[in-house]
Amino acid sequence: MNDFVIHAASYLGPEGFGNDQTSLRAWPSPLKENLARGELDGLHWSLLSDSDPSRFLRMDLMCRLGFMAAELLAVNFDAMSDARRDRLGVCAESFTGSLDTDIRFAQTPRPSIFAYTLPSTVVGEICIRFRLKGPVLSLISPATNGANAIAEAVEWLRDGDAEMALCLGIEAMNGSTANSVSLPENLLSRDWHGAALLLGHSENSPREKPFVSGALAEVCRKLCSCRNPLAKSIR
Amino acid sequence: MGASLETAVNESAAAIAGCGSVSATGLGLEPLQSAVAANASALQRREFVIGKTSQSIVAGFVPDEIVEQLRAADSAHADSRAFLFAAAALKQAAKNAGRILDSVPAARRGFVLSTTKANIEALDKLVRRQSVSAVAQRQIQPAFLAADLAEQLDCRGPVQCVSAACISGLSALQQGAAIIRRGLADAVFVAGVDIISQFVLSGFNSLKSFDPEGCRPFDKSRIGLSLGEGAAAIVLVKRKLLSSSATLLSGCGTSNDANHLTGPSRDGSGLALAIRRALAKAGIAADEIDYVNAHGTGTPYNDNMESLALRSVFGDRVPPFSSNKGIFGHTLGAAGVLETVLCVAALENNLLPGTPRLRERDPVAPDSLLAKPRTATKLDCVLKINCGFGGTNAALVLEREAP
Amino acid sequence: MEALIDELKNKIIAALSLEHIRPADIKADEPIFGTGLGLDSIDSLELVSLLERDYGILIEEMSVAQKAFASVRTLAEFVAKNRKN
Repeated sequence: MNDFVIHAASYLGPEGFGNDQTSLRAWPSPLKENLARGELDGLHWSLLSDSDPSRFLRMDLMCRLGFMAAELLAVNFDAMSDARRDRLGVCAESFTGSLDTDIRFAQTPRPSIFAYTLPSTVVGEICIRFRLKGPVLSLISPATNGANAIAEAVEWLRDGDAEMALCLGIEAMNGSTANSVSLPENLLSRDWHGAALLLGHSENSPREKPFVSGALAEVCRKLCSCRNPLAKSIR
Repeated sequence: MGASLETAVNESAAAIAGCGSVSATGLGLEPLQSAVAANASALQRREFVIGKTSQSIVAGFVPDEIVEQLRAADSAHADSRAFLFAAAALKQAAKNAGRILDSVPAARRGFVLSTTKANIEALDKLVRRQSVSAVAQRQIQPAFLAADLAEQLDCRGPVQCVSAACISGLSALQQGAAIIRRGLADAVFVAGVDIISQFVLSGFNSLKSFDPEGCRPFDKSRIGLSLGEGAAAIVLVKRKLLSSSATLLSGCGTSNDANHLTGPSRDGSGLALAIRRALAKAGIAADEIDYVNAHGTGTPYNDNMESLALRSVFGDRVPPFSSNKGIFGHTLGAAGVLETVLCVAALENNLLPGTPRLRERDPVAPDSLLAKPRTATKLDCVLKINCGFGGTNAALVLEREAP
Repeated sequence: MEALIDELKNKIIAALSLEHIRPADIKADEPIFGTGLGLDSIDSLELVSLLERDYGILIEEMSVAQKAFASVRTLAEFVAKNRKN
């Protein structure tokens, strides 16, 4: 039982947004040009969903990216039983974490954004949205590819701690926020994205789905250890 | 399960080899244990300017003389208190683990850090255009703080950084145990750290979360929490490396309430779920738990929810339980590790901790709440719980083996 | 007072991220909370924070806030009476 399946995948980034069922769609202009310049505040729920935007408007940038990445997978969650949602784990990984919001809060402290100065709040927002009660994990890593999250999710599946798992890789940093404080460049990530993978056991899915082997998880884990020389070389 | 398989499983279980701490009680386990034995509070009052007003805050501050002592010993990190606290706790834990670590090469040593805001006070200073050293700025980034601490310990195995609000500590311990169980390391240093900063003070203050007189967990007239700062560290080793009877991390569980964002789900079902998962992983029944160390922040909402969760899991036989946040405050990312260290001490001393600052128990709280410490008749199995922003919950089971 | 009421409507919309609401949608004498605006306890804390930041008014007890937040008009009267900026 060492093979696991990617049930669904989604992505939003400068190139566009989409999921495993659609091709990557370009952002509409002028949003497209703003996003390319690193101005991310215009990212909007309404591009993906007709449903009530009220929670979305309160969210910070990190949660919006994670939330939109998960929302692109909504059709998968909507089809799930409660029993499956109760054992669906969520694992988020980021390099910059909530830093964009931290900077904004440090500049103008406001109660409504304080809860978002944590890189784990995005996990909470997604669990609320899709009623997921599974194991949870929130990692900060020196690499920005979310591979640790995948490795941990595979372990959950292997150990039977979760029946399915949602892995999230999020990098959220608005250009103007980064420019407003003199932080070293290696603390910031000018690459922004939200990406989500829904993993499960191979027995539960149609055969056409791609496989993620347990061995790949091991390779990902080794790549993403904080002892990666990358962490040292960018002093 | 055959005897050899059971032995193999047990040999790679995570055992506790050493602990360390820095908190409002001072430097090391001795002042911490003294405070527990005396049921004393180390919370202090200090004035802070928050926004445009000066406010009086009661919190668990690490004493100034300790901060100065740590700065003097490591001037390169003088303005990174997060590093200083964590490094001090780790040094103690390594020392307490002793010779065991000599047999574990660097490549087989892992490291897991738990922190909510790392060296955030450096960001406060940058925003105010005050000068901050390069290393203090670097350690605003939790993964870099983790990397630097791991490097100081010469840990060349897996290194992870968990940032998951108030469950970070238990989550980090869960990761440490998993790293050992999966055979990726034979020893893992787990550290939790957070510092009191303008950033966090202004945040909780704006949410009106504080009790201006200091927290009173599970008290009938409680009105809020008190922050704390500090660090704690635990060295986990593969059970096989210990010759005498050990204290094991035998099971962990996490969950999400899937409910409101900053208040826990009203019925405590999310926390109850995390507890049940931990018990299942440990392979023990609820009635085998001898003591529960609660999250017990002192907010009306949290303590009520925990009471409901405990009743849900234990029925009308809730084990003796207490909250220690009246001693050192809510230390956020350090809490799970610091409070587990306290549980390890309880197991070693056969002393059940009380609930400092309690005046009158809230009738909603189960009556097995311990107001004062007391010697235990049987103390082998402890449940530690924490809950955090975002509806997250975590539970951990500690078991002391028979000698 | 009408100018202050308009100013407060705009600030409320901005502070509470009520993007789809226009000032004309908020009636000066109707309750701010417990209506279709869908506000919660964090929003009342956000308004308390706004009063401190923009008008220098420090509120210690939420019961004082609740009375002031009964409507935009009561809020304007509260601000006019207590403002330090």
